[in-house]
Amino acid sequence: MEQPVIELVDVRKSFAMPGGEERVDVLDIPEFRLDAGAHCALEGHSGSGKSTLLNVISGIQRADSGRVVICGTDIGSLPEPVRDRVRADRLGLVFQQFNLLPGFTALENVLVAMAFGSGRTDRARATDLLSAVGLGHRLHHKPAELSVGQQQRVAVARALANRPRIVLADEPTASVDAAHQQQVIDLLRTTCTAHGVALLVVTHAPEVAGQFPHRLRLEDFNRAARTPSR
Amino acid sequence: MSLLGIAWRTIRQRLFTSLLTSLSLALGVALVVATLITASIVKRAFASGGGLGYNMIVGAKGSPLQLVLNSVYLISRPIENISWDFYREFLPAAERPDGMAGRYAASVQTAVPICMGDYFRGYRVIGTNAAYFDRMTTVDGGPFRFAAGVNFRDDDFFGGVLGHEVARRLGLSVGDTFSPTHGADDGAVHDPFRVTGILARTDTPVDRGVYVNMEGFFLQEGHAKPTDGVSDSTTPAAVAQPAGAGGRPAPLPDAQREVTAVLVTTASIPGLPAELMAMGLKQAINEGRDGQAAEPVREIRQLLDLFVRPLELLLLLVTALVVIVSAIGILVSMVGSSLERSRDVAIMRALGARRSHVLATVLIEAVLLAVAGGLAGWVLGHLLVAAIGPLITTNAGVSVGVLSGAPLAELLLVPALVLLAIGAALLPAIAAYRTDVARWLQGPG
Repeated sequence: MEQPVIELVDVRKSFAMPGGEERVDVLDIPEFRLDAGAHCALEGHSGSGKSTLLNVISGIQRADSGRVVICGTDIGSLPEPVRDRVRADRLGLVFQQFNLLPGFTALENVLVAMAFGSGRTDRARATDLLSAVGLGHRLHHKPAELSVGQQQRVAVARALANRPRIVLADEPTASVDAAHQQQVIDLLRTTCTAHGVALLVVTHAPEVAGQFPHRLRLEDFNRAARTPSR
Repeated sequence: MSLLGIAWRTIRQRLFTSLLTSLSLALGVALVVATLITASIVKRAFASGGGLGYNMIVGAKGSPLQLVLNSVYLISRPIENISWDFYREFLPAAERPDGMAGRYAASVQTAVPICMGDYFRGYRVIGTNAAYFDRMTTVDGGPFRFAAGVNFRDDDFFGGVLGHEVARRLGLSVGDTFSPTHGADDGAVHDPFRVTGILARTDTPVDRGVYVNMEGFFLQEGHAKPTDGVSDSTTPAAVAQPAGAGGRPAPLPDAQREVTAVLVTTASIPGLPAELMAMGLKQAINEGRDGQAAEPVREIRQLLDLFVRPLELLLLLVTALVVIVSAIGILVSMVGSSLERSRDVAIMRALGARRSHVLATVLIEAVLLAVAGGLAGWVLGHLLVAAIGPLITTNAGVSVGVLSGAPLAELLLVPALVLLAIGAALLPAIAAYRTDVARWLQGPG
């Protein structure tokens, strides 16, 4: 049986309340797994810990306790620079606000992601990725010169820059108008399928979540989300 | 894409701010470069005067510094003239009409008279004799060399030699003629002199001098000392005749002659140190009523100690302040853009950039701004110096061009600026290093 690309075991994460010593639990996950190449939609109400979960999986934030295993590596025990390297090499991130670098062209946004990975900066691959998402003619345009849909496509191409095993997408359709929502989902799914990449999409839109073969509610496996305390 | 490339694109992204920062840096550096070069040039100019081929100047009573400034550097005004008889006291028996050695002749190896007060297109005209270039030495101890032509002869009353700078600036060649003016550039025009030689460059005030035969100089209007009707039986009345007009004109009678100063090289006698000889001669002259003796080296050293060095220190302090202010400019610029930077840093960190990467990127950005501003300022500074070159030449007596410089100080300037820029960028770099990625990207959910 193939090893899961994401495996969380007894993961807990809490934050201090502003101005006090009291802490609020955000994540309390006994177990969560995502298999290689699987596509999964993760739903949850606002404040249920969706973004924190993605931050813990990507190593941006460290869990207070438990095991966070990414492609066989327990990143919870690793120092930050190593977690950064794991994130650069094995994970691709797509954000709700796209988060493209405004001063960089579409091509440069993809090349920047490559610069932080273990591989070399491959201009040809960056061009291919952008062409594959239909932006071959917009390589040298800056984000401000691209439409919202085009920016999201750059974000998808950038997420795949370092041949990741997993793409994490945080509300990728929230900033896109209804007409383009389906395009974004189709783009993510077809691209990840083409590259054999596992896809975890966090969304609060049922119509989006309904299109995925695996559909989970965060409240179902995050005990901290069942009794909202905030 | 390298970190350098990322830093460069970040600068490009904030082009206007980056340009303003670099411009302010460039202006600061230009000021520093111009200050350093000017201070170095002025210091070098005064230092070079101490090594001229004579060790004493004899002139009219007054300020010894003024005597040195006027005679050596060809700046300031002559004090007054000294009598022809007094000048002759420095001559050996063979050079005197009475066949007797002058009062000071035993202590003197060479005594060369100079007469000043005329100008040629802004340059000082110095009347002297052929001994100036035949018997005196340059700063390096060697004889004067001619880039073209030869020294004038004592019997060629209207011959002249041009300093290197004068010939270059005025485009004069051997065989050309020039007419000095009396007292100032707009004074009465004198008879023409013919260029017999052009000196090789010496990097001393000599380069700016127009040297003419003293005999011709004496014959010009306003140069003869009034005699109140006393006739001089040894020489005919002076009537200036232009050179080449057929026959040499009669020289000016001795009674009507004066000189501005005498450049003296003291003699060296076995067993008596030259310094003691000079000291004795100086004391003897200064005790008399006819004139004063000044030692250029001593006067220049005092000038450097009392004026140039403190000024140099002050300029260096100003320079340091300017550089620090420039570095603060970088800090202000980078702190000002830190909000925008935080989001970019958060994005890059999310893409896998390590904290060290973002720290390095911010520092590289500061270094690029410093190098760009520094180099632009360096060029601007040199252009500035070239622009004020004529002013420096007039006041310090040294020719200045675009490539004039203070090599060591300038060599240290850009590295120092880079270090300061790194120091100034540390604060924003550390802020970038500590950027909370989760907060800037989405906040805890």
